[in-house]
Amino acid sequence: MTVTPSVLELKGEMLMLNVLRLQDVNVDNIEAALQKKRDEAPMFFIQSPIVVDCSDLSAEQGNLLDLRALRRILVKMDFVPVGLRGISNSMLAASMSAGWNVLRSATKRPAKLKKATETVVNNKNWLNENNQDKEAFTQPEKDVTKIEEIAEIRAGMTIERPVRSGQQIYAKNADLVVLSQTSAGSEVMADGSIHVYGPLRGRVLAGVKGDKTARIFCRSLEAELIVIAGCYQLLDESNTDLKGQPAMIRLEDEKLIIEPLD
Amino acid sequence: MSKVIVVTSGKGGVGKTTTSAAFAAGLASKGYRTAVIDFDVGLRNLDLIMGVERRVVYDFVNVINGEATLRQALIKDKRVDNLFILPASQTRDKEALTKEGVESVINELKEDGFEYIVCDSPAGIEKGAFMALYFADEAIIVTNPEVSSVRDSDRILGILQSKSQAAINGETVKEHLIITRYSPERVNNGDMISLEDIVNILSVPLLGVIPESKAVLQASNSGVPVIMDVKSKAGQAYMDMVERYLGEDVPHRFLDVKKKGFFKKLFG
Ligand SMILES: Nc1ncnc2c1ncn2[C@@H]1O[C@H](COP(=O)(O)OP(=O)(O)OP(=O)(O)O)[C@@H](O)[C@H]1O
Ligand SMILES: [Mg+2]
Repeated sequence: MTVTPSVLELKGEMLMLNVLRLQDVNVDNIEAALQKKRDEAPMFFIQSPIVVDCSDLSAEQGNLLDLRALRRILVKMDFVPVGLRGISNSMLAASMSAGWNVLRSATKRPAKLKKATETVVNNKNWLNENNQDKEAFTQPEKDVTKIEEIAEIRAGMTIERPVRSGQQIYAKNADLVVLSQTSAGSEVMADGSIHVYGPLRGRVLAGVKGDKTARIFCRSLEAELIVIAGCYQLLDESNTDLKGQPAMIRLEDEKLIIEPLD
Repeated sequence: MSKVIVVTSGKGGVGKTTTSAAFAAGLASKGYRTAVIDFDVGLRNLDLIMGVERRVVYDFVNVINGEATLRQALIKDKRVDNLFILPASQTRDKEALTKEGVESVINELKEDGFEYIVCDSPAGIEKGAFMALYFADEAIIVTNPEVSSVRDSDRILGILQSKSQAAINGETVKEHLIITRYSPERVNNGDMISLEDIVNILSVPLLGVIPESKAVLQASNSGVPVIMDVKSKAGQAYMDMVERYLGEDVPHRFLDVKKKGFFKKLFG
């Protein structure tokens, strides 16, 4: 028996990649918006793979998109363009001639699911294309969806001790978790959401920089003041029957909604 | 191993000095070598309550300034063995307390074999109070059953766990709660906050409840720590507190009978 020397190993691997979901086809606008994002964390984006998702674009919009220019600006910004996904049939030829690989769409958007024949075309495209981004093409489709979710997770800040009267805690660009109580006369703030696992008694300000989706969760609602994205309410002036109860507070149409938490 | 324990409250007149004197005398009476330091520079109360005011020659600030040795300034109690008092200066201002100075005195006491170093804090959250808590391993928070006192205790707890040396080193200062001047009748009248509410608001383990008692003023007028008045309720409550601190399982007394259910729940 002879031992064949190994030629290659093929395996699926999880890989962190960015998904750029386009809502506009004007390349200048895309460049400006992306540059802004990139400037917030330049080190994070250097040489990082990026997938362009076109599922929010209509077929007409898709045809107006300058795919060559898009690829150029991504490379210029040090991204590694991996491929396009969620494109309409009419974009297929243009995509390939502009040097883009086409990935299968994430399954969570059924309206954009490709027909079987197209999938074959795409698959062929994956295998035949021989370029630097090979590793990314071999990963299973479901991983792409997973990674997109991971990319949206926000870092958090955890405080283990009580936040006492006169103390102020601010979780910048993050969610805040307080494992103990917050006292009357204290102030807890976060750019994201706030979770308090002891009684919440002081002032609480979520979405400080204007994030209207930020929420407040607490085990016992006894706060003096509740604020989400600048909309505020004094608990004393609220007619909620959840005082002293587990509660979630969110913003809907510029109004604070206090709901039971269970 | 020596322990530095600060007796603090934020609010003034709640019973810090009374508690410091009683606690230190109680520890010493149990055989522990104990020093109690008066940090209330400018007011000087501890020596009065402990009946040693006539024996004060040198004080805490003299030691810090190198004008006297620690040995010269420490006053040995004549009634309780193992008990020493380091009085405050009546004439200096609070700025005389420096971090380095306080640290060197505390270190010298430790080297001298003192097992407990009790720091009687002045009221407020300024220099004197800060110095008293800065080197603490543990804190006794003295609270009266009223809103402003509880709020100030909460505030001082925040300072303790963020500004003390232990906090800066990422450790926590062990907290104990003492509720003084407690009057079950007045709680039932609604004049005072209940024990249950205080413990709930502060979420600090309860070490003792000292009832409102005339014996406290009488004791301080005669210069005897109230803990030595073994017939008084306040004296007994302070001794219970000391024993509880030393790890004995002592039930709380002198509370309204109706409150028993709650304490069974808390400590049972
Ligand atoms: N349990 C008690 N019953 C009755 N009176 C008390 C009790 N505890 C303290 N007092 C009284 O309250 C007053 C203040 O007590 P003390 O000097 O111990 O408080 P303090 O917190 O040290 O005050 P300061 O903030 O001025 O240092 C004194 O007159 C004392 O006799
Ligand atoms: Mg005092």
